[in-house]
Amino acid sequence: MKSISANCRAALAALFLTTAGQAGAQAPAPDYSAYPCLSYTLDCGKLATRKPQVKMLEGTLNGNAEKGKQLAQARNNGNCLACHVMKGGSQPGTRGPDLSHYGSAGRSDAETYTAIHDMRTRNPDTLMPPFGTNGILSDPEIRDIVAFLQASK
Amino acid sequence: MRLKIRTLVFAAIASLGTTATVAGDEPYHENYPQAHIDPARGVNGDIGFSDTLPFWRTEAELERNAKWVGDPNEQWKLNWKFMDLDRVDLHPGHLAVDEGEAMAAKLAKRNPAFLACLADGGKKLDGLAAGYPKYDKALDRIVTVESRIEQCAKTVLNEEIRQGTPPNNKISVYFKSLSAGTPIKVDIGDGKVMESYRRGEQLFYKKTGQLNFACASCHVPGSIMGHKLRGETPTTPFADAAHYPTYRTPIGALESLQERFARCLGQMRTAQIKPGDPAFTDLEVFMTVLSNDYPVSVPSAR
Ligand code: HEC
Ligand code: HEC
Repeated sequence: MKSISANCRAALAALFLTTAGQAGAQAPAPDYSAYPCLSYTLDCGKLATRKPQVKMLEGTLNGNAEKGKQLAQARNNGNCLACHVMKGGSQPGTRGPDLSHYGSAGRSDAETYTAIHDMRTRNPDTLMPPFGTNGILSDPEIRDIVAFLQASK
Repeated sequence: MRLKIRTLVFAAIASLGTTATVAGDEPYHENYPQAHIDPARGVNGDIGFSDTLPFWRTEAELERNAKWVGDPNEQWKLNWKFMDLDRVDLHPGHLAVDEGEAMAAKLAKRNPAFLACLADGGKKLDGLAAGYPKYDKALDRIVTVESRIEQCAKTVLNEEIRQGTPPNNKISVYFKSLSAGTPIKVDIGDGKVMESYRRGEQLFYKKTGQLNFACASCHVPGSIMGHKLRGETPTTPFADAAHYPTYRTPIGALESLQERFARCLGQMRTAQIKPGDPAFTDLEVFMTVLSNDYPVSVPSAR
């Protein structure tokens, strides 16, 4: 049985080393019971999904691109980088389209805002979380991210 | 004729994907579009699903594809199976088996009925774990190896060895190690098992949490599976159940399958449920049927 090559073992040792540092102290889990869950008994098991919501951008954008960049990269926040290649940030995800030149695509602030607020309004089957509808990002935060995307040329 | 076409079109739209359900008073729910999985095919159902099975199914195939280990683009296709059994001989999962054996022996010494309870009335545990989860008629519920340990400790010794705790995991990995190499055979001919499988399947596709993800959002073809999610790449759900409890290197402890579910729930920003919860049991049944015919593969490391 012990046939995996020496090569493979070395790679494994490297893997163990790189993952070993990630343990760290665990923060208490936030409370997500306001969203549907898998339980048969808890109330969240019966909660409805928040319906797709079309939200229009009101007034001018007024976003801060630098703040938007931080939000887009933060794992506990927008974490857009989990699925998109973007300007800056490390270990980007690959499932969504590359957004690192989004600002050159000629998209309006308004359509971008609406999409980030709730992508289901564009694609009911989307994998992208409904950031506005589900309260992951606030209105000013979405504006900041739109500004960051528009500045990505 | 016209009507017929219209119904057909409706049916086509309905079967195309999203699966928001709004029937009568039912609250609005969303499900990830269901992939076709035939439970009778066991682990072979991965063919036509992720199609990675040929890369990790046997020792020889893993050996042939060992070059992918550590390769960020290709490694996910090995479904981490290069870390099972004694393919890695240094990890402490082996020590955990010894510890679990010593614990089980000690408990059996206090009362031999503990062992008999684990062994379904017999004397030996060999090969038994490969038949879990299963329906227990006397208890009228689905039992997993971990819930069996909890229940036997409680009824025979009046001791709490709760699922999802280190002592339970250690006895579990020992119990399962006595089936190492034995093909998993969850009894899908049992109606109660299949009811649980179907419930587990529903849960697998149910979108939950703040991020509105289903398990399937990351673990079926067309989803995030095989794509990078920052540092990680989600893999096929086939054969996952075979290597649990696994020794988790980053935390230096064993982790049961249901504790692993809980970590994915955390990533989904979904309210937690506890090991042994009926919903987790149904998910475990679903996932273990997807491991049918694949050998029990403990001790492993992840
Ligand atoms: C779980 C994966 C995922 C995450 C996280 C995610 N997206 Fe997306 N995004 C997608 C996918 C997939 C698409 C492609 C369209 C679709 O399938 O709905 C997309 C499309 C987009 C588009 C449209 C691109 C175009 O060319 O029209 C924008 C803009 C966008 N995402 C922005 C964001 C921002 C901003 C964030 C973070 C706040 C984010 N995404 C987080 C998966 C994701
Ligand atoms: C946001 C993406 C995501 C979602 C949603 C998700 N998972 Fe995972 N899951 C992962 C990643 C990434 C891994 C680690 C890589 C791998 O083994 O697939 C993983 C690993 C696992 C493993 C361990 C596989 C192994 O080889 O040991 C199991 C079991 C699992 N997931 C089950 C589930 C279940 C059940 C759900 C739903 C409750 C779920 N996952 C939802 C991303 C996800």
